[in-house]
Amino acid sequence: MHPLRHPRNAIFVGILFVVIGFVYWFVPYVGGWQLDYAGVTMLAALGIAMGLMAYVLIAGSPNE
Amino acid sequence: MTGDAHAIALQEHSPVAGVAHDERGGISNPVLGMILFITSEVMFFAGLFAAYFNVRANAPAWPPIPPTVTEELAEHFHHLKAEPWLALALTVILVLSSFTCQFAIWAIRQNDRTGFIRNIAVTVILGIVFLIGQGYDYTQLGFGLADGVFGTTFYTLTGFHGAHVFGGVIMLSVLLYRGMAGQFSARHHDAVEATSIYWHFVDVVWIALFSTLYIL
Amino acid sequence: MATTTLTPAASAYRSGLYEWLTTTDHKKIGILYIVNSFIFFFLAGVLALGVRAELAVPGLQLLTDEHLYNQLFTMHGTAMLFLFIIPMLAGFANYIVPLQIGAPDMAFPRINALSFWLLPLGGILMFSGFLTGGTAAAGWTGYPPLSEDRPGGLASSGPGMDLWLTGLILIGTASILGAVNFLVTIFKMRAPGMTLFRMPILVWTALVTAVLVLMATPVFTSALIMLFIDRNYGGHFFDPATGGNAILWQNVFWFYSHPAVYVMVLPAMGMVSEILPVFSRKPLFGYKAFIFATAGIGALGFSVWAHHMFTTGSVYLPFFSLMTFLIAVPTGVKMFNWIFTMWRGKLTLSTPLLFALGFLSMFLIGGINGAFSAAVPVDFALHDTYWVVAHLHYVLFGGSVFGVFAGVYYWFPKMTGRMLNETLGKVQFVLMFIGFNLTFFPMHVLGLQGMPRRIADYATTAGWNELNLAATIGGFLIAASTIPFLWNVFVSLRSGPIAGDDPWEGNTLEWATTSPPPPYNFDRLPEIRSERPLFDLRHGLTHPAAVLPVPTDPSVTSPPVVVVDEPVARPARARRTRKEP
Repeated sequence: MHPLRHPRNAIFVGILFVVIGFVYWFVPYVGGWQLDYAGVTMLAALGIAMGLMAYVLIAGSPNE
Repeated sequence: MTGDAHAIALQEHSPVAGVAHDERGGISNPVLGMILFITSEVMFFAGLFAAYFNVRANAPAWPPIPPTVTEELAEHFHHLKAEPWLALALTVILVLSSFTCQFAIWAIRQNDRTGFIRNIAVTVILGIVFLIGQGYDYTQLGFGLADGVFGTTFYTLTGFHGAHVFGGVIMLSVLLYRGMAGQFSARHHDAVEATSIYWHFVDVVWIALFSTLYIL
Repeated sequence: MATTTLTPAASAYRSGLYEWLTTTDHKKIGILYIVNSFIFFFLAGVLALGVRAELAVPGLQLLTDEHLYNQLFTMHGTAMLFLFIIPMLAGFANYIVPLQIGAPDMAFPRINALSFWLLPLGGILMFSGFLTGGTAAAGWTGYPPLSEDRPGGLASSGPGMDLWLTGLILIGTASILGAVNFLVTIFKMRAPGMTLFRMPILVWTALVTAVLVLMATPVFTSALIMLFIDRNYGGHFFDPATGGNAILWQNVFWFYSHPAVYVMVLPAMGMVSEILPVFSRKPLFGYKAFIFATAGIGALGFSVWAHHMFTTGSVYLPFFSLMTFLIAVPTGVKMFNWIFTMWRGKLTLSTPLLFALGFLSMFLIGGINGAFSAAVPVDFALHDTYWVVAHLHYVLFGGSVFGVFAGVYYWFPKMTGRMLNETLGKVQFVLMFIGFNLTFFPMHVLGLQGMPRRIADYATTAGWNELNLAATIGGFLIAASTIPFLWNVFVSLRSGPIAGDDPWEGNTLEWATTSPPPPYNFDRLPEIRSERPLFDLRHGLTHPAAVLPVPTDPSVTSPPVVVVDEPVARPARARRTRKEP
């Protein structure tokens, strides 16, 4: 199957946001700047939601 | 490959094979719609959790201690985390109800209408017990929504979860009614699949809530 | 006028009021969305005229009650965003997406109807503030503590703010349900042969927009609920005195409201992407790049929200500044692709193309002045000044509204069966273009000169008098430009020339059925082997005789559908430079 059609690869978009959220937490944490927990929470949740959504849309599509 | 062969192939190998399908090989529309709706609900709770983590990070102590709150309130806050027994019981009840809900799904997929009705009925009862227990817990907590930011975040998070449980109980009751009226079969039970996914989601949110509010 | 269609037997029918009120047909619902959105457009426009009338000259002349002035700009912003542009684009998508993918309707028609009817309800709730002591007046952004109702100092007491919150919660819910509907429709109900990478760009932008709405709007709902709890149940979310955090509102609010601005522009970009190829008689340049750019804008859009909060002091500045600059990249790709679609094409300067060109040029300006604001030190100087007002209007009006009008002129024939008058359309375009630039270009200068936003009056000696007067004249010119538009619609509905199935020689499936389409959309579909099925049909690249059966009821097992999956054979190079013979 084309890589863009495989459901497992669809989760990548979710992982992308979890990574962004992690960077958003990590850099201020090591740099000593103010941490925005609200933003980290929302980005992490976004990653989970996006991954679930992308997976179910690709896996659940008719195979044509 | 024809559409049918694709459908069969999907059902044999796909991880979503168990979920209700339509004849062209995709997840059935109502089930897909429910899963997508649940992702939006995840983001709704994300906003509330974001608020919780934000105010908690800004607080000098958590749960708040005097002089930011009164001695009495600090005592009640501490009690919440030190003795979460009722909340633990509620967790067990909700997890159990997820199991009975899944038993109901397996039953109706095998066309076992009696098993389906029994398990849905138990799930409804467990859901109602959860709500009553949550309400009772609210009366025993000793603090209210207006008692500082601890009270506000606690009641908002658990309250909206409770509202979702209430909605789920109503949906399950409709399933119970329709099931008793003989409207579901192995071939035709999209509403049951969709509702069960919602109910599992409600359970998962409670686990996250319980861990965050009572344990962390 | 081209009639390359397979003519079905059904013809248009007229429906009574009951039919309109209870319809679940995506086409009628789309029209309801569009009409409702235009009503709020005019209402919010009148509010803006009030604002401009007050600001024309220094001194408080008309709105001596500054609180009323605050209500005007608050409701102008709120209504334009949530009751006009987002639903307008949703309405167009509602009408066109099922047709373009060859589906008979949306996946959940009753939820579709519910999504629409929550809109006028939410709008009435919000505007009823005018009758109950004042609407919300804290700006469309509703920052606490101004939007809270704590005693002492600035606060929003009274029911207006609560009506605003409730109305928006309802409208947000409607949006989310609509997003679920679009995603299930697009992924599950495409006609055979319509793979994801053969879908029209408008469908792709509707897809990405639906993802943004699905993920971001619930966060806004949570913020609205938190503010409601603070105001009515003694909550402390945003009250610093008791452990809350006023900046928390801004954080959660902008986490939604930034992706929301892409919700407000992506479908308009999709419409422009449909119109430019047809009126340049050339295929869209870089179809796949478009799709990835749209997805990139959607994804990046979630990582930039705090660029609205640079001056709060609690933002990790480099992260957001960098991410904001990055969004220029996919947007630039799209701009490039649009221009190269027209390059060496055979342009027909009819009204849809004029508005599309207006979109391209004005959105470019809006994008550039936004890039200035992405630089943190520049934003420190320009935040909350008229520079931001200029930016947002260049992208939202110069961008989205011009895109909407392009779409109106392009799809009006399909929706009503009649053509809009070209002369009146061109008059509207010229007046609106001039009026728009006269209103908003001076605001760049006003912002640089330090004029703050959301003020009812300004000092005579500030040096802002002439530009404000120019902006007001421009505003009334915009208002005047809507008159030829309304007249055009009124006259064309009654006696415009009959459009036929395909008046523009379009490329996509909606032109393969009657104007307006029958309730079930298609009698038969052409073969779908590329992203331009009608072009292929017209040029003999697909065969009208070999039509595929349209799957209708999924519970009925249909005969195996033979899907011929090879794309239409074309020489590889010819794809980019081929023009219409």
